[in-house]
Amino acid sequence: MSMVKHEKTAPRDAPLSETTFIGWLQKNLFSSWINTILTIISIYIIYSVSKSLLIWGVLDAVWVAENRRECFAISKHGACWAGVLIWFDNIFYGRFPRDQIWRVNLGGLLLVLWMAPLWLPRVKDKIFIGLSTVFLYPFLAGYLFAGGDKGIFMQVMTTGAIVCLIGNTVHSILGMTSGRSLPEYLIAVLGKEKASDGNQRNTLLAILAVAYVVVYALQMGWTVMAVPWSKWGGMHLTLVISGIGITSALPGGIILALGRRSRLPVIRVLSVSFIEIFRSVPLITVLFMATTMFPLFMPEGFVLNKLVQVIIAVCLFSACYMAETVRAGLQAIPKGQYEAAHTIGLGYWGMMAFVVMPQALKHMIPNIVGSFIGLLKDTTLVSIIGLFDLLGMLRAISQDIPWRGLHHEPLIFGAALFFVICFAMSKYSRHLEVKLSAGEKH
Amino acid sequence: MAIDGAGKTVATLKPKEKFDFFHDERVRSVAYQILTACVVGWLAWYLISNTAHNLQVRGMNTGFGFLSATAGFDTDFKLIEYKPGVGTYGRIFLIGCLNTLLVSFFAIIFSTVLGFAVGVLRLSSNWLVARLALAYVEIVRNTPLLLQIIFWYVGVFALLPRVKNSLDLSAGAEVAFLNNRGLYTAWPVPDDLFWMTIVAFLAAVVGVFVLRRWAHKRQDETGKQFPIWSASIALLIVLPYLVYLASGSTLNWDVPTLQGFNFAGGAALPPAFLALLVALVSYHAAHLAEAVRAGILSVEKGQTEAALAIGLRPKKAISLIIIPQAMRAIVPPMISLWMNVVKNSSLAIAIGYSDVVALFMQTALNQAGYAVEMVGMTMAFYMFISLSISGVLNIYNKRVQLEER
Repeated sequence: MSMVKHEKTAPRDAPLSETTFIGWLQKNLFSSWINTILTIISIYIIYSVSKSLLIWGVLDAVWVAENRRECFAISKHGACWAGVLIWFDNIFYGRFPRDQIWRVNLGGLLLVLWMAPLWLPRVKDKIFIGLSTVFLYPFLAGYLFAGGDKGIFMQVMTTGAIVCLIGNTVHSILGMTSGRSLPEYLIAVLGKEKASDGNQRNTLLAILAVAYVVVYALQMGWTVMAVPWSKWGGMHLTLVISGIGITSALPGGIILALGRRSRLPVIRVLSVSFIEIFRSVPLITVLFMATTMFPLFMPEGFVLNKLVQVIIAVCLFSACYMAETVRAGLQAIPKGQYEAAHTIGLGYWGMMAFVVMPQALKHMIPNIVGSFIGLLKDTTLVSIIGLFDLLGMLRAISQDIPWRGLHHEPLIFGAALFFVICFAMSKYSRHLEVKLSAGEKH
Repeated sequence: MAIDGAGKTVATLKPKEKFDFFHDERVRSVAYQILTACVVGWLAWYLISNTAHNLQVRGMNTGFGFLSATAGFDTDFKLIEYKPGVGTYGRIFLIGCLNTLLVSFFAIIFSTVLGFAVGVLRLSSNWLVARLALAYVEIVRNTPLLLQIIFWYVGVFALLPRVKNSLDLSAGAEVAFLNNRGLYTAWPVPDDLFWMTIVAFLAAVVGVFVLRRWAHKRQDETGKQFPIWSASIALLIVLPYLVYLASGSTLNWDVPTLQGFNFAGGAALPPAFLALLVALVSYHAAHLAEAVRAGILSVEKGQTEAALAIGLRPKKAISLIIIPQAMRAIVPPMISLWMNVVKNSSLAIAIGYSDVVALFMQTALNQAGYAVEMVGMTMAFYMFISLSISGVLNIYNKRVQLEER
């Protein structure tokens, strides 16, 4: 008698909770009486909040009106988005001259153009592109925003930035289409693949020099109207302050973090006390210090404008926070990496620049994005000391005579704006975190 | 010295390294440090001399003498006695510090409770509840705190009914009122014998500690458990209450009553305080919820399974195995969040709550000058608070550090 079963046993059906909607509901929402009560409460909260928001913000809302009284006349209990819509340009560009707004837009567009290759596949030398964004873009953008007479220094730097931007763009188009970098392509076009390294390099330098001279000559005739800093405002100002803050925080934070981990006592003590002092006080006190004490620090007759004071304060503050991020990144690097770098004969700076920092920075990218989100939110504090950033502009709406007392709508609009930006960035940083740590597991 | 094969000692070979002044590590490290010290020292001297010169040129006064000078302005909210024209700037500083500490204290307590609750809800098996908690956390964390504070102030607390139509929070008992001038509640007024009740309460607290130690010892020795929780709560309530009755003292309540255009009597909190408190609590609770969630998730599943395997019931497994391990991951971020609460309470300045920054660093500074001293004192206050909190954190970290074998 054989005990072998000949026919195949049919697989058991998946449990109902996995296949049917009712089953899913039972498992996730009504598994016990406590859960049932919680579900009902949640449904009630969601229903009442979304209903009142929908009625107030959409169904009963007024979109076109001349002033707040007209809003009330049309709909007494609805949102008055008309005020926000009329102030739309102010919210984004502050009091930037209306016929010059294209400069702000162009600045933003150039930044996108400059940084887009970082996300494109098959583009080489992304580190160079990233560094050039940090070191050259600000000059071009700075001239676009501020305008006026270009000094020799600004001419040199904007020319460099334009040449670099053109090079970057051509380079990334080439990279996308053929997988080659710009120098390789130029060498190939000129038929110098066989030439010596020195020859190739000289050729490329010559091309660079010619391009530089041509662009320099062209840009000499290009000037834009000067816009004083006091006309900057809104979203633009918020992004300028936080952008400068984060880009200068990175080098500053790296130096401070290295100082904090240094074996030299004087350097360590100075770095630690600098970091801890700024981290233990609120940003608003640092901003007040900047506006009340910086004028005293400067030699007599030397006046910094308020925007520069604020930017210096934000930079110092964010550098100290960045230092802690960098320190955490450095601590995550195994000791063996340091020892290996020493073994192959690298000194301190070589070790840091070629072995430790590249690895640490890669790990830190999510945290850096996190600090940028924090800084973007903290930048709203400059409205307290009288700059018209995004929040300052939103508050100004309720002071505007036709819209006096219009508080809710601008604040909710601003909150939604911040939410979209910050939420997108934090999602992206989480995605990066997963992507980067996936490379670690073998 | 080393010993060679024949048993003779031979001198160890000295490395033939020449001392090169410019490539010696010690020389270089000393040189770097001296260079850094010189640069920093020069910078400090430059700033200080500029400041001294500027102060002289502008004819500004210096020194801390202003602390005993009388201040001529009033504040709307103060915990200690102060009269404009009589009180000093030193007193103003004290009022500001106390106001900051008051709002931070309550914000820390409430945000910790709410943060733990939301953190647990985030992990709820109920899909809808978990999503709702997630929505709350993401919305609050991704909008600026300052915007939230202003929203609560101008968008919620300023729109409350006027004094005449105050909301009665005590449901008809008329002891707590909320209106657009703030929150008014009854306040206990102890009489002369009330100190006995307080002493009894303190004694009960000591008693609870003794009881806990005894119960632990007994459980270690005999294995018998003692209902510590119910016994402690009973002790904490019954003993003070008995003394309160026995001493014959009475606790009067100072109830706010409507007189003219405002309430008189009781305790009053201005709307700015309430708006700041609510905003700080909701903002930091959302951050804490993430820390709590991460802390609970950081305890491996094997720990729960092991606890259940040795026969602990789920409740015991949570309280004895999971929570103690999760706390190790939760407490450090929690304490740095507390620090952030204190620092972020400085945003009070945007809605006119008189904390130390608004009162001392802005109003007093505009009135009296003394920029360097006032900015320095305010920063020193925050540094002192931060350093004390991080000192507590370090002690805790040392105590709970994982003892790895």
